[in-house]
Amino acid sequence: MKKIIVSILGEDRPGIVYAVTRVLCEEGCNVLEASQTILQSEFAGIFLASMPDDLTRERLQQSLEEGLASLGCSVWLKDFKAGAYSAPGAEPYVITLRGRDRLGIIPGVAGVIAGFDVNIENLRAITIKDDPSQVVIVFEVAVPKGVHRPAFREALKWKAEEFGMDLGVQHRDIFEAVHRL
Amino acid sequence: MLTDREVISTLEMLKNEHLDVRTVTLGVSLFGCASDDFNRFTARVFDKITRLAENLVPACNEIGDKYGIPVVNKRIAVSPVAVVAAAFGPDDMVKAAQVLDRAGAQAGVDFVGGFGALVEKGAAPGDLALIQAIPQALAETNRVCSSVNVASSRAGINMDAVAEMGRVVKRAAELTAARDGVACAKLVVFANLPQDVPFMAGAYLGVGEPDAVINVGVSGPGVVKKAVDRAMASGQKMTLGDLSEVIKRTAYKVTRVGEIIGREVAARLGVPFGVVDLSLAPSPQVGDSVGEIFQSLGLGTIGAPGSTAALALLNDAVKKGGAFASSHVGGLSGAFIPVSEDLNIAASAGQGFLSLEKLEALTSVCSVGLDMVPIPGDISAATIAAIIADEMAVGVVNHKTTAVRIIPAPGKKAGDKVSYGGLLGEATVIEVKDHFGAEKFIALGGRIPAPIHSLRN
Repeated sequence: MKKIIVSILGEDRPGIVYAVTRVLCEEGCNVLEASQTILQSEFAGIFLASMPDDLTRERLQQSLEEGLASLGCSVWLKDFKAGAYSAPGAEPYVITLRGRDRLGIIPGVAGVIAGFDVNIENLRAITIKDDPSQVVIVFEVAVPKGVHRPAFREALKWKAEEFGMDLGVQHRDIFEAVHRL
Repeated sequence: MLTDREVISTLEMLKNEHLDVRTVTLGVSLFGCASDDFNRFTARVFDKITRLAENLVPACNEIGDKYGIPVVNKRIAVSPVAVVAAAFGPDDMVKAAQVLDRAGAQAGVDFVGGFGALVEKGAAPGDLALIQAIPQALAETNRVCSSVNVASSRAGINMDAVAEMGRVVKRAAELTAARDGVACAKLVVFANLPQDVPFMAGAYLGVGEPDAVINVGVSGPGVVKKAVDRAMASGQKMTLGDLSEVIKRTAYKVTRVGEIIGREVAARLGVPFGVVDLSLAPSPQVGDSVGEIFQSLGLGTIGAPGSTAALALLNDAVKKGGAFASSHVGGLSGAFIPVSEDLNIAASAGQGFLSLEKLEALTSVCSVGLDMVPIPGDISAATIAAIIADEMAVGVVNHKTTAVRIIPAPGKKAGDKVSYGGLLGEATVIEVKDHFGAEKFIALGGRIPAPIHSLRN
């Protein structure tokens, strides 16, 4: 059974998921997994679906574009390949930087993270309600077994100091232990 | 995926609210070290402590780094030395304290507790030898802490021991007169002493505990205060019941930190995990105060009318929240009100808003007792014993732990300043209204019998 990745980008509004999944269903594709994010006014969704053998990508692309035309969304299709990246035994860490927002923090820190072969699983920026000049940038990462933690920590600390930010590097379990039952 | 609230709230607790693990205490049983040969005894003691505690400090630091939560103190608690070294006399007891001090130094810990005795119903020769050795032992060592249990709800109050401890406290202060009687900061007299307290100076490893165990003491009065402040500023009408709920939930979070870190240290050291003591333990740093919580609750200061009720609310809410957060809660578990260790409480006492009498009333509803209270140096041993007796009675009748850690300041009187250094803090000497003395009462000695409601069978 073929599988396909369907990526949708566009302005957020009611009806997008309906439009996408209706077309997929009409073409005989079953949605296996889905993930969506809304950032400010933008919608981004990724759908993993099965494809009947006699359905071509071109035909599916066309059907989806027609179905989403009135919503103004873009569609990308890709053949699904299982198991591209994995890091067995990786530990979940949360890297936080707090301070005044400035240009270059995210690529700076992301560069350090990438340099250690660590994967970022979630990234966001949180503005502090009581102090809008302060931002907290949160990287949820998976640190593989082979990474030398003290060196990783040290490299992140240097980068944070470069930008005048407060650094936190903590195992994710502590956040869950404190806030979740 | 963590929510924004979970991330921000945890970071706030760490950075601005002084959330930390106050102590990880390794209990080491010394019963197997017993010998009638003193050198063999001390060699076994030194070996066992240093062997078991070898990785304590590195493990705590590493795990603290992993979670971003500092383990502020690493400590050791041993079996009551009066029992383990029962065969020896006072001079050997002092030497034993020095061995504990050296072992603690090697392990890199800041305190070693357990140089104590349990004499609630009577004292054996070993107990008496240890008690006699306490002043010199505490004056000559840095790390050793001593706790003596002189009363229990089951046994009553051993007034002979109380009288003796009055003399011991005074002598310990005199031996360290140059440092404001600091030896007494390492000595606590207890009623109903629990055997798994991780905090000093009361920590010891009781009979019935495993050979080695990890007990954790969390802290977080700053976290509680900020939570109360946020609730009060939220715009919603808050009743005391609502605030109790806020404190309870906050105590839960603080205790969870202790639980997760304690378990991991225990696993790393290959030692059983004992308990989390979820006490709100202040330190003399800004923002790490229990006293400030009273102000957040609307009182002018700790010591003002309403304080006992407020403390009852606080102590109970802390216990409830913490109890849910940990599989095994123990030790003292509640709110501490150590005078010199809390900037706000020290200030309140110094300005005359918190008297010895009010402190005693507060101890009926909180965790510990008269803690880190500097008193004039000329107060007699009998009066000190009488103060101890009062506090023991509060504990015995109310089936709770109470303790006395008072520090006579030789050469100083009420209103003078004292300073003990570091976490022990500084304060103003408190007035003791001792117009008539207590010599005749204390001289009667004997035992005050256990209260009738202790006959539970």
